[in-house]
Amino acid sequence: MKHVGQNVPHDSAHLHVTGKSTFIDDMPPLHGEVCVGIVPCPKAHAKILSIDTTAAKQIPGVLAILAAADIPGHNRFGPVVQDEYLLAEKEAVFIGHPLALIVAENKEALLAARKAVKFQLEELAPIFTIDDAIKASSFLGNQRLIQRGDVDKAFASAPHTLTGTFDIGGQEHFYLESQVALAVPGEDNTFTIHSSTQHPSEVQTLVAEILAVRFNHVTVICKRMGGGFGGKETQAAQPAMFAALAAHVTRRPARFVYSKDDDMRFTGKRHPFKAFYKTAFTDQGEILAVDTQLYSNGGCSTDLSFAVLERAMLHNDNAYFIPHFRVTGRVCKTNLPSNTAFRGFGGPQGVAAMENLIEEIAHTLKIDALDIRQTNCYGRRSEFPSPCNQGEGKGGGPIAGCVPPPPPSPGIPGEREITPYGQTIANNTLPRLFETLRKDSDYDRRRDEIDQFNQHSRTQLRGMSLTAVKFGISFTRRTLNQANALVNIYVDGSVVISTGATEMGQGVNTRIRQLAADELGLPLSSIRLMPTNTEKNNNTSPTAASSGTDLNGAAALDACQKLKGRLAPIAAKMLADQAGGLHAEPDHIRFLAGRVFDDRRPAKTIDFQQVICHAYELRINLGERGFYATPGVDFNRDTGKGHPFLYYTNGGACTEVLINRFTGEMKLARVDLLMDLGQSINPGIDRGQVTGAFIQGVGWVTTEELVYSAQGNLLSYSPTTYKIPNISDLPDVFNVSWIDNPDNHVSLLRSKSVGEPPLLLGISAFTAVKNALSYLGEESMKIALPATGERILLAMPARTAKPSTYVPAPAK
Amino acid sequence: MRNHILLYINQQRIEARDNHAFMSLSDFIRLHLRQTGTKVVCAEGDCGSCTVLLGRIVDKQIRYEPVCSCIQYLYQLDGTHVINVEGLTYDAELNPVQQSMVACQGAQCGYCTPGFVVAMHQLFEDGQSRNEAAVKRALTGNLCRCTGYDPILKAARETDMSKMRRIAELFPIEKISSELSAAANDPVQINYAGKTFFKPTVISDACRFRAGHPDCTLITGGTDIGVQVNKGIRQITAVMNLHGVSQRSIEIKNDYLLAGAGATLTELFRACEEYFPEFANLLDIFGSPLIRNAGTLAGNLANGSPIGDTLPPLFVMNAEIELTGINGSRWVNINSFYVGYRKTIMGEDELITAIKIPLPKPDEIVKFYKVSRRRDLDISTFAAAIFLRLSGKLIHEIRIALGGVGPVVLRLSKTESALTNQLFTEDAMLEASNLALSEITPITDVRGSANYRNRLAANTLLRFYHDITGQPSNGNGHPKSPPDHGDNGRDSSSFILQASSLISNPHPTPPPEYKGREGEGDGRDGHSSSSNIQRSALSSNPPSEQKESE
Repeated sequence: MKHVGQNVPHDSAHLHVTGKSTFIDDMPPLHGEVCVGIVPCPKAHAKILSIDTTAAKQIPGVLAILAAADIPGHNRFGPVVQDEYLLAEKEAVFIGHPLALIVAENKEALLAARKAVKFQLEELAPIFTIDDAIKASSFLGNQRLIQRGDVDKAFASAPHTLTGTFDIGGQEHFYLESQVALAVPGEDNTFTIHSSTQHPSEVQTLVAEILAVRFNHVTVICKRMGGGFGGKETQAAQPAMFAALAAHVTRRPARFVYSKDDDMRFTGKRHPFKAFYKTAFTDQGEILAVDTQLYSNGGCSTDLSFAVLERAMLHNDNAYFIPHFRVTGRVCKTNLPSNTAFRGFGGPQGVAAMENLIEEIAHTLKIDALDIRQTNCYGRRSEFPSPCNQGEGKGGGPIAGCVPPPPPSPGIPGEREITPYGQTIANNTLPRLFETLRKDSDYDRRRDEIDQFNQHSRTQLRGMSLTAVKFGISFTRRTLNQANALVNIYVDGSVVISTGATEMGQGVNTRIRQLAADELGLPLSSIRLMPTNTEKNNNTSPTAASSGTDLNGAAALDACQKLKGRLAPIAAKMLADQAGGLHAEPDHIRFLAGRVFDDRRPAKTIDFQQVICHAYELRINLGERGFYATPGVDFNRDTGKGHPFLYYTNGGACTEVLINRFTGEMKLARVDLLMDLGQSINPGIDRGQVTGAFIQGVGWVTTEELVYSAQGNLLSYSPTTYKIPNISDLPDVFNVSWIDNPDNHVSLLRSKSVGEPPLLLGISAFTAVKNALSYLGEESMKIALPATGERILLAMPARTAKPSTYVPAPAK
Repeated sequence: MRNHILLYINQQRIEARDNHAFMSLSDFIRLHLRQTGTKVVCAEGDCGSCTVLLGRIVDKQIRYEPVCSCIQYLYQLDGTHVINVEGLTYDAELNPVQQSMVACQGAQCGYCTPGFVVAMHQLFEDGQSRNEAAVKRALTGNLCRCTGYDPILKAARETDMSKMRRIAELFPIEKISSELSAAANDPVQINYAGKTFFKPTVISDACRFRAGHPDCTLITGGTDIGVQVNKGIRQITAVMNLHGVSQRSIEIKNDYLLAGAGATLTELFRACEEYFPEFANLLDIFGSPLIRNAGTLAGNLANGSPIGDTLPPLFVMNAEIELTGINGSRWVNINSFYVGYRKTIMGEDELITAIKIPLPKPDEIVKFYKVSRRRDLDISTFAAAIFLRLSGKLIHEIRIALGGVGPVVLRLSKTESALTNQLFTEDAMLEASNLALSEITPITDVRGSANYRNRLAANTLLRFYHDITGQPSNGNGHPKSPPDHGDNGRDSSSFILQASSLISNPHPTPPPEYKGREGEGDGRDGHSSSSNIQRSALSSNPPSEQKESE
């Protein structure tokens, strides 16, 4: 009867498959509803000389055209730094920056008005790339630093050093449901906003501020999103503000929906990064020092860029202990839509920089990259001799003369389990993941085969890479690590739960339902998760940082436990049998399968509903607020030290690719994923999170390329030109499994968060390409991310020479 | 003359008049019928969220195939039966596909889910399971951003086939098809707010209408027209639906294939599987099944994009196009059909009525290539077709056509002449690739740089050489190579021509996964549609775009 740990279907699945689940754009038009649209600035950087709306306002059906000056409250906003203008004032800073807002009776009038709005712009010099921003010293905020040891000294005495630069591309979220909001004005200057948002409280705040009303005038509701992936953490707010402004001026319901094209062109994406790196290492591949300068492309405003950069820096070490470590970070200010949160939140970029560098160390030393990774893995002792295959490699045993390291002692973190920022890695499963995956993926045999193949094939190249992820769970902004939940029990025994978690397909509501069902001893059918609503849950954190279930589930459990605490004495009295010697003892009351009993006499049970009815008669409060704040997390940004994460979710991936040497086309031949998810709350949903995140990560590193014109127009702005993975891009062989880890005591029922970490395993597809290209020589290895077919082909030597000159010696 | 469009949507009989005739099917379903299970994401046929089944009368029967409803307009749909996700529940119960999708966690956010359910229901309608390759090919037109597809494949595997019901069990299709068949003979004309719609049933009426409406949009599949209308690139003033005057049949004659202008790319694919497998392989990565089920070869040719997937093969095969006008018909070789970027020699009254494609003879070697950013559901960055006839080890005749390297598909006549009567060796091909580069003028656009296209063009001749002289050299455990990727390593000294068995065998055994598939879209697919909105920023040349449509 336990629901936690079961593959319970997603609580909306039966609606999704029949098309009955309602998204905001599926809601029928409300009486008097108006259309809302923007006049997007066609230039990336321009001074606004004039905006003339006279002609546009004459068009029949046009109700209002608003400029910045018409906004009752703040036009300037931002989640961290208020440096973004909803409607451009003196200057427009990205293509799509709204110059004006149009409110109309219908779409036709809206489109006509958009054409009729006249404006004069004076173009200013735009900046688009990180390189140009560095040249122009165009930055947001200050440089950040995390360091340990003495990097400069380590380089001075190192046997080997290597330097390079690495360009990392951005990524479009491509949630299928575009950004959308519906604002309904109510009496007394109140507003109800239906928003497809991961952060209803942020939408509430910004709508209230733009309308100059108190927060208690604005209620934000999010039933579900058609995907979010971080793109609706802060940037769902703009559509909501547009709709709210229209509702405010017309006092009529107003809906704002982006077309897919406009959503892709005008909203932020995953931050592109550039890494300048330098590393020092021994003959054996032990990394002595890494010194990295990370630059991110923040776009036109701060948005979440500082936090994204911080997470990139905190994940730059990835799974590896690096004694002398320095990473600096800087956000570049450019004339692109403000880049924002995207699953992984900087972590993928930080990890990609490290994994890229490891491939290059491996090539330099002619040591297999996996040996380099295992040598430097957190928890390995320092003298790890390489290549020494841990008894699982070629020949089936340790190489003579190699002393295998002692097994990592469970539970007692060692010196090599401390991160550069000072957090000790508890319950470190990384060495075990590497070892298990190396064996399960048959890595060594396949490596031999690939060496052979690449020596002989002149038409194809194969490559393989096994990478890991160590993803820190918690918001690095400490305040956000809190949640509240409201649990109400009705007299028929049914229960509703409201939390600040938003449902974007990840199954947070299903998991919370399972947790509550077990806690209250009820069948799932007795519990409903309600649409997220700021009226029920105030000051909520975004559903982000993989923390939705951890935080909100814990808060819901807290409420359920408090309710049980009130119900148990009542049930105890109902079950007591003075004559039979059973005295009322609330501590002995158990709730199971819709029944309540005293565990000293389990044969006698009463219905949960009976207890509730009786409690109601007795005037007991049958609703409760739960609360949870993650204990202990703290990080000092100024010193770059602290304990930012409650725990880490770990995993590994072994990916093999096949490349067509004539075209650069690449295919995933085989993928083996191995995760440490602690004790899974819902293995079916977790598995879907793993495969979904991994494939999304593969898209980022392979086919998903943001292509801009010289003027800053995004050219790949629809699925015709922006290619997310297709079902046929799945690997021929795709194995997904997890290790058993019952030792993550710090989290909810020993589970681990799963939303983001597997995305970072997609990086193995990139490093596998890099590995394949390494067989053609060092020059061919230098490839930017994503490794598109074009980049792969152009990285290979042109086939103009005789065959013998382009068949390289094997890398080993 | 009927003044409305007649169609069925699920159980509902609909007479679409006035503005409704000019609505997209997805808008009509969502906004007018208020059935919101059909989602619209991209509005360009490239995501499949709006998938519905389109039933059309073929030989008095209704044949149902999944299509994208966002790029089907009601003016294309006279005489059809449309079924959306709302029509596929069994007596208010979940159908077996839906049950399996629920149990296997095939839905996360739920936005793509109805499209997948519709496409999968049609795939399994006959109650037969399919292997994984066939499932993947049937679903390449449906994008999912949440699941990584693996749970959806699991759902496909675990669907209870014994509980599947046929469309005929769910709907009174006898009654519907007899009514629609009868209505098919009616010409239809609708005038509304300055727009004219005409569906002729006699070819001469069609030619006259075209001549009288120079701005007329001709439509059958409309998989590109729909995109252009949705994105505001094309305004519909006059539109003519050619379904009533287009033959859908495909005939195989002795040495050629004759396709009617109404034949869809899916129908062409099926015919080619047996008679022209090399062409079938290419059609298999054209758009997606959702696009191929609607789009036609005639549309692809009339659209005239320089990256139309089907064009280079037809160039090297010397395909002929039948043009019919007021004064009768004429046949034109495709090599002289195009005169500039999207410009053809068609007269103002002419329509494409048939296409004749010579089939390769046993001594003729043909290879067709498409390179795109993503293998499936993508538009070519580069396309190539090579035809070779050897005389001993000498090149007797070679024809090379490249797409995506100029404003039109190019035949490389200098390279062809230079290679003729040369020994067919790697060196000869390598040398010819330099000459080939002098004959092309690729541009840089969103799909790739000029440099990349040059490299692809140069490599194609070598790739061709390896592909036809190669032998499988797979070691144990070598990953299954995608069909699109060339064969493995060869060494030029060991060149032995493997004669006709390597080549386009006119009667091959179809690959196992196709066996017994009579129905719907098998397919991985390839591309679809798209808009030519200002992508010329990187170049002054016209954007290369491929479209299907007419």
